[in-house]
Amino acid sequence: MIVRNCENASPVASLPSDQSLRFRLGLGFLAVMLLGGRLPAADSPNTTPAGTPVALTPLILKLPSPAEKGTPKDIPLGSNVEPLSTNARPPMLVPAGLTNLAPGATVTCSDRNAGPDMLAKLADGEKEPADQNIVSLRKGLQWVQLDFGSPKDLFAVVIWHAYKADLIYHDVIVRVADDPDFMQNVRTLFNNDQANTAGLGAGADREYFESNEGKLINTKGARARCIRFYSKGSTDGALNEYTEIEVYGRAALSP
Amino acid sequence: MIRRFMLIVLLAAGVGLALRAVRLDERPMHNDEGVNALRFGALWQRGVYKYNPDEFHGPTLAYATWAMARVTKAPDFDHLTENRLRALTVLFGVGLILLLALTVDGLGRNATAWAALFTAVSPAMVFYSRYYIHEMLLVFFTFLAIAAGWRYWRSRRLEWALLAGAGLGLMCATKETFVLALAAGGLALGLNQVWNRLIDASGPPVKAARLNLWHLAAGLAVWLMVAAALFSSFFTQPGGLLNFFRSFPAWFHRAGGDSAHIHPWYFYLQRLLWFRAPRGPLWTEGLILVLALLGAAAGFKRSHLGRASASFVRFLALYTFLLTGFYSLIAYKTPWCLLSFWHGTILLAGVGAGVLGRRFRQRWPRMAVSVLLLAGVVELGWQAWQVAVPYAADRRNPYVYAQTSAEVLDLVERVEALAGAQGQNGRMIIQVVAPESDYGPLPWYLRRFKQVGWWDRVPESSFAPVMIVSSALHASLEEQQSYHMAGYFALRPQVLFQLYVREELWRDYLRRLPER
Repeated sequence: MIVRNCENASPVASLPSDQSLRFRLGLGFLAVMLLGGRLPAADSPNTTPAGTPVALTPLILKLPSPAEKGTPKDIPLGSNVEPLSTNARPPMLVPAGLTNLAPGATVTCSDRNAGPDMLAKLADGEKEPADQNIVSLRKGLQWVQLDFGSPKDLFAVVIWHAYKADLIYHDVIVRVADDPDFMQNVRTLFNNDQANTAGLGAGADREYFESNEGKLINTKGARARCIRFYSKGSTDGALNEYTEIEVYGRAALSP
Repeated sequence: MIRRFMLIVLLAAGVGLALRAVRLDERPMHNDEGVNALRFGALWQRGVYKYNPDEFHGPTLAYATWAMARVTKAPDFDHLTENRLRALTVLFGVGLILLLALTVDGLGRNATAWAALFTAVSPAMVFYSRYYIHEMLLVFFTFLAIAAGWRYWRSRRLEWALLAGAGLGLMCATKETFVLALAAGGLALGLNQVWNRLIDASGPPVKAARLNLWHLAAGLAVWLMVAAALFSSFFTQPGGLLNFFRSFPAWFHRAGGDSAHIHPWYFYLQRLLWFRAPRGPLWTEGLILVLALLGAAAGFKRSHLGRASASFVRFLALYTFLLTGFYSLIAYKTPWCLLSFWHGTILLAGVGAGVLGRRFRQRWPRMAVSVLLLAGVVELGWQAWQVAVPYAADRRNPYVYAQTSAEVLDLVERVEALAGAQGQNGRMIIQVVAPESDYGPLPWYLRRFKQVGWWDRVPESSFAPVMIVSSALHASLEEQQSYHMAGYFALRPQVLFQLYVREELWRDYLRRLPER
């Protein structure tokens, strides 16, 4: 007999008495196979290894009953959200010889509570959605910045916010500049803040579901020394969480 | 004249029925409809109903469905359809139009005809008449209590007192929010009496007979008997009565803000009067509100009311304004709650339409007003059709709320095909896993499967051939070589499930697909 170790377990499935023995055996073995039991030898289903006949009993399978839930929360889904794709992302074509510049960059952010040790997680190569890999910045519009020290040609950016659930981060904006204070030659590479709630200008890009693939953004060789990543909470909460950031590029070639 | 009036009311009932009944099964079951269906299923299959004070409202929905199922010889629960369940609320929605016959001398004949038409075509009334939830029953029983109370007020006959008592008992046994209608009704009665005595003393003297306390006591007794019988599952579950009183603390917490359904005060009015989602059409029932204000003003001013009772109109106005205020001020809001006060608004709109016609003495202007109002009715009817059918599950519809996605039907179809491939059909073992048991209305859709287990976390071992797992859990069962991830299916916006199928079963399923 296999009994589930779950609350609210109730015997919702016992075999009817008029079932044929063959069906009982079949379902019994199927369930044992499925539910982690060991298979007897294929050529002797009714005997022990010593050859002693074994009495078979119908399997009583206990499955938890459904819980009754009240009205679920009405979560709005904006018209600018990309549908979640079940297909693998097509590859992006970039020049050969690019490297991930993030591990060598100086990381800063708008949240004073986030120290250098914490921010180092953003580019440490750990992308699993475990709590110890996630950097949480306070609520509201927050940014993290990578300073490469000298101009680079940037071709692709990948951002992993927290993706433990199917959630959408709001006001995801990626900007580049030629100085750490973001005063010179500021350009926007990605902006899905269509309502301009971040105050950095309305963007035309779409919101998206977080996933283990991360968000891949084609930055088309933009030349810059610094890159900033903005966000303003998610559908899951007000915090701004990051798991990893990768920036693919190379040292700026002479114009 | 009476024949024309009757024809209009019957025409309204016919239009109301057509709008409510057409393509009733297309919208996927909402979570709440699924829960109500399962509770009815327990009553239908095993004769068991137990009032749950937590969040599932009163027993009238289940018992009314049971009665209808008996009369119409419904099949067993496995073969019950959405059509059959929703037909019940459709009947109550149409019944609301026919109940107007009880208040003709309160509203006046013209106003009653207009109110019948507005009730028939109000998009909110149409949309939620097609929803297998308690709200339309609550509105029907509330109006039954008001109408029977009005008839008793006019006639002082015992049977109307008993019917009003029954209406109150049924309200009480439908939804806990009946207390709001009760409070609004009681306050409106009191305020109306004050108005009648102090402000409207210049009007014709009211010569009502004295109230018979025995009649009131009999009405009260019927109220208590009906409520007690239903909450105790016809005296088989005495604890149900106690549970009725236990339900209120939880509701007070929710009303105070302890809920996922906290919305601003204008939540209902925005949906009713001016709602436009991005890239969506504009929805408005503003005509009804404008006419209702006109009707209420006429009631207080006692002008152009024709044969309507100013006192009854004033009562309706006070009741409606108070109820609108109550519902708007309570932080907890779900859009179907608006029906209670919107029905009062519709009745007043009928009065307003009648008043508007009587403002013009000449025939042609009166006809022009009637034509314009009829055009308004047609426009509302068009909106009602749009919310009921093309936009029934579309978020651009103001009345759609936490609606189940149509992809659930694809998921169920896939599971049924897998069961066919396995040869087990209804005996196939399925595990459904979702955090906080957020899988409704899958229990309704998988009711034909007799071996379904429902988990709130992924079991450590022991997996079934078919696993339906919330994507929020990131189960990644496909990393075990024995499972194939057969797709994402949205339950609601941002609530997705993954379908995992044992490799061998998946291969069997693929083999059975027709060759291209």
